[in-house]
Amino acid sequence: MFALSVARRYLFSNPSQTALLIAGVALGVTAFVFITALIQGLAIRLTDDVTANSAHVSLEPLTRVARVLPSPDADVESVAVVSTFQRRQIRAWASTVELLRSQSSVLAISPQISGSAFLVKGEAVAPVAVTAIDPSGLDAISPISTELVSGDANLGADGILIGVRLAENLGLSAGQPVLFRTDRGIDRLLTVRGVFQTGLQSLDERVAYLSIQTARPLFRLPEGVTNIEIKLIDPNSAREFAAFLHEATGLRATSWQEKNASLEGALTAQAQTGTLIQLFSLISVLIGIASALSLSANRRRGEIGIMRAFGVSRRFIAAVFVWQGLLIGMVGAGIGCLSGFALCAWLASLTKPDGTMALPIAPAEGGYVAVFLLTTLGAVLASVIPARSAARLDPLEAIQQ
Amino acid sequence: MSAVLDVREIRMTFRNGDELTEVLKGIDLALEPGELAALLGASGSGKSTLLSIVGLLLRPTTGTITIAGQRVEGFSDTESALFRNQRLGFIFQFHHLLPDFTATENVAFPAAAPAGGITPSMRQRARELLARVGLSDRMDFPARRLSGGQKQRVAIARALMNKPDLVLADEPTGSLDRIAAEQVLDLMREVNREDGATFLICTHDEHVAARCTRRITLQDGHVEGNAQAESISK
Repeated sequence: MFALSVARRYLFSNPSQTALLIAGVALGVTAFVFITALIQGLAIRLTDDVTANSAHVSLEPLTRVARVLPSPDADVESVAVVSTFQRRQIRAWASTVELLRSQSSVLAISPQISGSAFLVKGEAVAPVAVTAIDPSGLDAISPISTELVSGDANLGADGILIGVRLAENLGLSAGQPVLFRTDRGIDRLLTVRGVFQTGLQSLDERVAYLSIQTARPLFRLPEGVTNIEIKLIDPNSAREFAAFLHEATGLRATSWQEKNASLEGALTAQAQTGTLIQLFSLISVLIGIASALSLSANRRRGEIGIMRAFGVSRRFIAAVFVWQGLLIGMVGAGIGCLSGFALCAWLASLTKPDGTMALPIAPAEGGYVAVFLLTTLGAVLASVIPARSAARLDPLEAIQQ
Repeated sequence: MSAVLDVREIRMTFRNGDELTEVLKGIDLALEPGELAALLGASGSGKSTLLSIVGLLLRPTTGTITIAGQRVEGFSDTESALFRNQRLGFIFQFHHLLPDFTATENVAFPAAAPAGGITPSMRQRARELLARVGLSDRMDFPARRLSGGQKQRVAIARALMNKPDLVLADEPTGSLDRIAAEQVLDLMREVNREDGATFLICTHDEHVAARCTRRITLQDGHVEGNAQAESISK
């Protein structure tokens, strides 16, 4: 540990140079933390935007396809024809829901009947994607009741909730009747109970909610459901959970990432760009450490030479410089992590006039442990070059200079 | 009494491209314990080369070196460093003290580095040595705040820290003014006389050589003269 003591003394011998060196490391680490927190914040915001109003995993029956049947007579081929009129459904949905309820990672479950229909008001006709749900779980997947701009969320036996754009297109408002016509040609008069506005055009213009009990006769599904929508505590685990559900139930399980492949690609590209920026900031920090220690080794040639002359080992000399690198790296990384967190926390506190964050930054996601360890380890590696050059110094040459 | 230093048939040839230059051409030399020897010679006579070889900082082309009864010319780099640390002391023209360390720490350094730190006994010996070289009032001064003469005295104390068999000094007064140089010379003579330390002092200064008990003169890579001084000037 005497080498550590010498290293510390060397660093304290020139406080302004050491402070500048540590400030350089801290600045690089701050940049690293900022970039990491920003990229993570962006990813979280984009993921939240996508997953807040949709399921993380969707369970549906497997797609049925026509298939060739084996025949003992090689000359004759039989084909099993699939009826396209028969609606695909999950008959044993109750046991699947039981299975889902036993999973600690599941936040919400919503068995649904989904289908297509038309809303008819006078001469105006609009196609709608129908989501029929248990009224008690109306907000399980999408927070609909909080998005109502008129009426209420009480679906009852003949109620329907529609989006604000759809209501405008059909000239409807809460309390008015509307003719509901399913893709099976069944008509029923329903009452618009409420009008919602999510801000997502696809929902506000195309989606209608009704009670699952109301939907059963309309879609001729007396028992089953067409799909089960699931929300997870951690949306990022959706892919693995979907694989588990497919294995456990035999149903087709689709994660939100699969449904939004382009978003995932964008997030990956963004993360890769961030990694490059992080790498460059780290490399610049390490080059700074290596060059500063090389200068120090050069300036102290005489001292190193005399130490070698009176028998101090090469290992000791090298250790002095490696310790310096380690100390600079640790202190610089520590200060950089603190200042990076402070900067991110301040930026996160800035809001736009509508109350949302000015920058989608996640101060808790600054990669602090990673950058601390990487910088410290990198600083040690960066000090190896000057350490080796100092240790290899010919004492005679150094002393004579 | 066996010799502290016994050098036989030392030759040293340097290669500069295709050109070979023989700097030492068969040196034979022996020093008895307690001697204060001056190694004289003009520039290029090979005295600094010989001192570096004896100090195990340079490996001779041929020849044998025995220090305190131990053959050392075949030592590895690590063995040489260990031997230098335990058996030899060095004083150079430029003291090369560690400027960020106190005088006491500088003196203790040769013992502390291999041991992993300065123990109380090392500190005690370093302080005794500093008192011995007349720096009782500068023990806790950073080396950078000492004068040239004081620094060279610290360097002498540092050379004695590990109780070496042989102290090698290369132009120890070369960078000092006349008064400081006198003080340093007096000190080396005093340490030699009272502690019995053996010194080999490389110098081109006749005034320094005149204060030594033996004069060894090199010329053109040979020992030109090697004799006990008849009288030591004060």
